[in-house]
Amino acid sequence: MSERSVRFTKEQIATYAQASGDINPIHLDDEFARSVGLPGVIAHGMLQMGLMGIVAEDAAGGPDKLTRLYCRFAGMVVPGDTVTFTAERAGPGKLELRAVNQKGEQVLTKATADFKE
Amino acid sequence: MSASGEPRNAVGVAGRTYPPVAFQIEADRAAEFARAIGADPAAGVPPTFAAVYSLGVTAPQLFADDDAAVEFARLLHAEQEFTWARHPKPGETVTSQGRVASDVSRRGMRFVSFETETRDEAGVPLCKSKALFVIRP
Repeated sequence: MSERSVRFTKEQIATYAQASGDINPIHLDDEFARSVGLPGVIAHGMLQMGLMGIVAEDAAGGPDKLTRLYCRFAGMVVPGDTVTFTAERAGPGKLELRAVNQKGEQVLTKATADFKE
Repeated sequence: MSASGEPRNAVGVAGRTYPPVAFQIEADRAAEFARAIGADPAAGVPPTFAAVYSLGVTAPQLFADDDAAVEFARLLHAEQEFTWARHPKPGETVTSQGRVASDVSRRGMRFVSFETETRDEAGVPLCKSKALFVIRP
């Protein structure tokens, strides 16, 4: 099993916004985020998926082995949250993935990956 | 969720295909992305850099489409799948084309399934992205 815990910060979310080009203000501007009914800035789903991907690649034996990655963005991740990402073998070429926050809530659900053995 | 919520656009844009977009995989850009997700930049282009070279270049076409009328502030990325035939190398130019696979409204919520096919310079499929966007009323 591969595992990694990440504590999310505003800086990290802003860095991902810059690196990915996804500069939706819900990820960068607390005031704007609150104006659209969010508690404040939230992490990109794709940042969560990127972190999940690294753990999946680790379990698969390297980034080049990964052939599919899927997840549902089920819960918001905000700065200060700690999310533990895990990847476990679930049969030949299959991984079962989990992302659980510090409250025990799944932030990604039905997350799976396929890889070349 | 209210049953009285009118769909934002009665017609929808299901089946709409956007023009292909070329994107060069720059080593520096891929390394910056790798660092942002805590990956080793020396390990090559991270698989989820597809968020940039595939979904990232085509989704803005959907968002800028007046007929699609997607309001950014009400947009949720609900699901994402990437499938890869292989991963691109720095220096390669890939071409991505986005298509609205389905666009349905239910109980005031709108569900847009957006698919992107990315091909390499030889035209061989490299990555397929399937995103589900939910637009809140």
